Amino acid sequence: MTIPLSFYIAVSAGLFFIGCAGVLVRRNAVVILMCVELMLNAANLALVAFSRRYGAIDERGSVFVIFVFVIAAAEVAVGLAIVLSAYRNRPVIDVDEIHQMKG
Amino acid sequence: MRFDFVEPVIFFVLAFGVIGAGAAVVLLNRITASALLMALSFLCMAGMFVLLGAETIAAFQVLIYVGAITVLILFGVQFTKQGGDRSYALFFQKQYPLAAALVAAAAIPVFLFSFYFSAPAPQPGGGDIRPLATSIFTDFAFAFEVASVLLLAAMVGAIVLTARDEQEETARRRR
Repeated sequence: MTIPLSFYIAVSAGLFFIGCAGVLVRRNAVVILMCVELMLNAANLALVAFSRRYGAIDERGSVFVIFVFVIAAAEVAVGLAIVLSAYRNRPVIDVDEIHQMKG
Repeated sequence: MRFDFVEPVIFFVLAFGVIGAGAAVVLLNRITASALLMALSFLCMAGMFVLLGAETIAAFQVLIYVGAITVLILFGVQFTKQGGDRSYALFFQKQYPLAAALVAAAAIPVFLFSFYFSAPAPQPGGGDIRPLATSIFTDFAFAFEVASVLLLAAMVGAIVLTARDEQEETARRRR
């Protein structure tokens, strides 16, 4: 018996909303980056599941997953660099306290 | 198919791992534990990719997410330590017998099982890497190049953002 597609989509949606709630609820900048990664991963699961079940001939969904990997790596590298340089400027990690650039 | 029940069982274990570890990332207050549980969530997600038949994506997932991004995030956590974060042990650091029992309970069945395990014969055709590579290097060749430029820009940007000014640093040290 193979798993129905809807189960994968349910897991993907659950992980996406967990990550979304984390971004909205947590105030630590590094945890917010982690939650963004969780959301990207949930999107990857949906892409691979649809690509596998509906696109047996070509692999376009999986190709998009590769590009999502690239974007996620770039995003976390630049995001952590911004967090670290803000932390060096003033040692806080709470996003409510980081408002030096507020106009 | 002989083992009809194996795939659903593996799916639900992996789904529990993905959702449970993801929820723990949001709910736990210990940032280091959050980062390690995020790695667990990514690892279970790689298992799901294998279940879906996308082995190459699963390998990339382990290499990039479980390897690179988790290490990067752990470094970020260590560089931005906050006061109340590290007041107690991470995992079982005070409970050595319990930790030893848990490790033994996990390791001994695996060890015994490995004697009876025989891998299936490798299938010809190379899995899903051949259509994936064909698609990337023909239809998506331009996007692939753009992605490599993006990675280069991100690398340069990260270095520029975190590089310290040498003179400013020595001046601060003298003060």
